[in-house]
Amino acid sequence: MKFLREQLDNGLEIVAEVTDDALSTSIGCFVKTGARDESDDLWGASHFLEHMVFKGTQDLSGDEINRRFDWMGASANAFTNEEDTVYYATVLPAQQQEATDLLGRMMRPALREEDFITEKLVILEEIRMYDDQPPFGADDQCRAAFFGTHPLARSVLGTVASIQALPVESMRDYHRRRYCPGNLVLAATGAVDFPALVASAKRLCGDWEPQPTVPRCVPPPQMLQPSIARIVRPTATLEYAVSMSGGPSENDPDRFAAKLLAVVLGDDSGSRFYWALVDSGEAEHASCQHQDFLDAGLFTTQLSCDAADVTDLLDRMREIYRSASTDGMTAKEFTQARNKLAGRVVLAGERPRRRLFDVGLEWSHSSTYRSVADNLQIVEKLTLDDLHRVIKKWRLDGPTSTVLAGPSTADSPPQSVD
Amino acid sequence: MVAVFVKQTLFSLVLDNGIVLLGESLPSLESVAIAFHAPAGGMHDGPNRCGLATLAGEMMLRGAGGRSGRGIVEDLEGSGVQWAQSVSTSHASFSGAMVARQLSDALPIYADILRRPLLEEEQIENARQMVLQNLAGTEDDPAHRAMSALRQIHFPAPWGMPSEGLTADVERLAIDDVRLFVASHVRPHNTIIAIAGRIDWTAFVTQIKQLFGDWQAGDAAGVVTGSRGARFRHVPHESQQTHIALAWSAPPYRDDTSYESTAALAILGGGSSSRLFSEVRERRGLCYSVSAGYQTQRDFAAALCYAGTTAARAQETLDVMRVEINRLPGTIEAAELDRVKARAKSGLVLQQESSAARAGAIARQWYHLGKVRTLAEELDRYDRLSVASIEAWLAENPPADLSVVSLGREPLEVPLEVSA
Repeated sequence: MKFLREQLDNGLEIVAEVTDDALSTSIGCFVKTGARDESDDLWGASHFLEHMVFKGTQDLSGDEINRRFDWMGASANAFTNEEDTVYYATVLPAQQQEATDLLGRMMRPALREEDFITEKLVILEEIRMYDDQPPFGADDQCRAAFFGTHPLARSVLGTVASIQALPVESMRDYHRRRYCPGNLVLAATGAVDFPALVASAKRLCGDWEPQPTVPRCVPPPQMLQPSIARIVRPTATLEYAVSMSGGPSENDPDRFAAKLLAVVLGDDSGSRFYWALVDSGEAEHASCQHQDFLDAGLFTTQLSCDAADVTDLLDRMREIYRSASTDGMTAKEFTQARNKLAGRVVLAGERPRRRLFDVGLEWSHSSTYRSVADNLQIVEKLTLDDLHRVIKKWRLDGPTSTVLAGPSTADSPPQSVD
Repeated sequence: MVAVFVKQTLFSLVLDNGIVLLGESLPSLESVAIAFHAPAGGMHDGPNRCGLATLAGEMMLRGAGGRSGRGIVEDLEGSGVQWAQSVSTSHASFSGAMVARQLSDALPIYADILRRPLLEEEQIENARQMVLQNLAGTEDDPAHRAMSALRQIHFPAPWGMPSEGLTADVERLAIDDVRLFVASHVRPHNTIIAIAGRIDWTAFVTQIKQLFGDWQAGDAAGVVTGSRGARFRHVPHESQQTHIALAWSAPPYRDDTSYESTAALAILGGGSSSRLFSEVRERRGLCYSVSAGYQTQRDFAAALCYAGTTAARAQETLDVMRVEINRLPGTIEAAELDRVKARAKSGLVLQQESSAARAGAIARQWYHLGKVRTLAEELDRYDRLSVASIEAWLAENPPADLSVVSLGREPLEVPLEVSA
C-alpha cells in the first residue's frame, strides 16, 4: 500500500492510496464546500448543487450520466455535509479512466434552468421526507441552537422557503466560486493506476482557470447558551431527544480519545447507555457520538423512548456522564471499547470505497494522510487517562442545547436543562 | 462493458447432525466474518404469536453457558468482534466480523448462544420491552410501515408477517413460549454456519465439530401456509408524504429464472438509469425516493415497487408508476440489459472485498438452492441473459393482480388496469 500525490499548475490536487491487489478502484471528487459556506440567500445551495451536478454538462444530459455510470457497473453517488461535497464512484479497475473522466466532466455542470426547476421539486420532496422521519428535525434544530451565529448552525438541506426562493443565477455564481481547482481534491483508493489518474486530471481539469480561494469564515469560539426546545408531533409513537455539547475539533489531538470515549459511554451495544437504558427495554435507542469539524467539535447525545419517560431517562444519561467524569471509567470497559474500535478500523480498511472517504476527507481538510496502520496505532496508543482528561475538559454533564420531538406537548417540559 | 476474472475458493460440508458448514477463502483480507443461521425465523411464530422468534432471539443473547448476557457482549467486544443478531422470516441469525486470529476464541461463545441459552424468566420482561421499543420505533418510520403492510397483504401467512412482531402478540408471550420455541426450532438440522475471509478451513471444521458435533435434536413441525389478505390497503398516517408500495408475484430464487426476475426489475427501478428513476424522479421531480426490486422467500417471491411523495402529487406518482410498470413487457432494450448486467457483475466482484457480504451470500444461496453457486457460474448466468429471456419472463410473470398499499393522509385511487 502506498500513498501518492500530485498537484496541477492550477492548484487541483490528486492523491491516491494504492493497493495493487485490490479488486476495485474508488475515485472521488472532494469539493471543499458545504452548508457552512452558504449565506442566508444560498441556504441549501451546496446540497441542491450536488443534485444538479448529476443533471448534465453542456454536452452530456443527466440521463446520459446515469446511463454511463450504470454501463460501467459503477457504484456511484454523492453526499453533502456542513464542510464537504463529495462525488464518488467505485468500479472495477479497468473502468478507472472512464469513471474519472465522467466525474471530472461533471464538475463543470450546465446548470440548465429547466433542470433546476424540476430538481427543485426533488429537493423539496427530500426535505419533506426527512421531516416525516425521526427525529423529526430535532437534530437540525439542535445544531442550530448549539452553534448559534456560527456558520455550522446551518442545516445541509435548507428549508422549503430557502429552496423555493433560490434563483438559478445564485447557484451558478456559487458554483463558479466554490468549484475552482484550488478548492477541489481528486482522490482514489484501491487498485489505482496513478499515472493514468494524473493524466485524466490534466486532460479534464488542466485548463480550469485558477481562482483565488475564498477563505472560510471561522469565527471565534462562543460560549454555549443552554437551551431546550420542543417539536410537537402528535402522531409520533416515541419521543426523540437530541442534545449537543462541545468537543474536540479536528485540529485537536484529543479527537481520537473523544471518539473512544463516546464508544465507552454511548455505543450502540456494550456501552454504559446500552446497559443502563437499552438492555432494560426502557429506551429504543440511547447513544453518544463525537463529531469534529475544522474549527469545532461536538458530542451528540440521542435518545428515543416512551414520551412519559424522556425526562427521567435524560436525567439518568446525564448522571452516567457525571459519574464517568467524577468516578472515572474502568480498565475493563476501556479495553473493550478500544478493541472494538480497533476492529472497526481493520474492517473498514479492507474496503477501498470506505478508505476513499477517510483518505479524501483527511487530505481535503488538513493535507495529511494516515494509513490503516497509522489509524490502528493511534487507537492502540490511547490510554484510560486520555479519556478521563477529555471527559473532564469537555463536561459532558454540563450545559447542552437540547431539542425534543414527539407526542409530548409544551405543557410538560423537562425540568433539568443543565 | 465489464470484464471480470476472480479466483475463488469455496468449501462446504454437511455434518452428521445436519449442520451445514460453508466457507469462502478471501486471502487478501485480514478479517473473517461468520454467521450462524438457525432455522428459527418468524415463519414459525404461530397464530397470534407474531414476534415470538424475535423475542426468542433476544432472549438467547441474555445469557448462555457460563456467561450472563453482559458477559457474552463483553467477551465478544473485548475480542474486537463486531457482532449482530437478527431474526428474519426464515432464520434467527447470530453473526460477527473480526480480525482472523480472534475466531477461535469467538466460536465457543456462539456455541453457547445456540446450544446453551439460559432463557431465564427474570430476563423476559426486559427482552419483551426491548422488542416493543423496537416495534414502536418502526411505527415512526413511514416507508418501513408501508413496505411491511405490503408484504402482509401480498404474501400468504406466515410468509408476509413482520418478523419484528405485532405489539399485541408480543405483550402476550410468556417464558414458556420462548423455551418451547427455542427447543423446537434452534436445532442442528438445517442450521447454516457460513464463514468467509482469511480462513483456515481445516482448523475451522475441527473446532466446529468439537463445539457442535454432538448436538442432537428431534424434528421440528413444518409451516402451514395460510391465505392472502386483501389486495389493497390504505394506512392512515398524518404525514406530509404519501408512501406508495406495489407488488406482484414472481417465481422464488430457486427457480432458474430468478436472474431474469432480478434483471427485469432492475430495468424497471434498480438504478439511476432505470425507468422509474428516470420517469418519476428525473423527468418529473415527483419524488426523492423511488425504486423497484426482487424480493424472495423460500417458496414465494415478488416484484416490489416503492415511492414516497407529497400527498398532493401521490396520485400522479402512482399513475406514472403504473404506466411504466404496464409498459415494461415488450419494450426491453438491449442497452438497458447491458447496463443491468454490468452493474450485477461488478457488484458480485465488489462483494469479494467484504467478508461479511460473502458469508451472507453463500448462506443465502444454500438456503434457497441447497448449494453455493461459484462466481463463475453466476457471471456466466448473467452473460446468458438476453432481451428474449427477459421478455419471456415478463410474459410468464406479467405485472398483474397487483397488491397496493398507500400510507398517508388520503387513500389513492387504484385504477382498474392495475388491479385487473
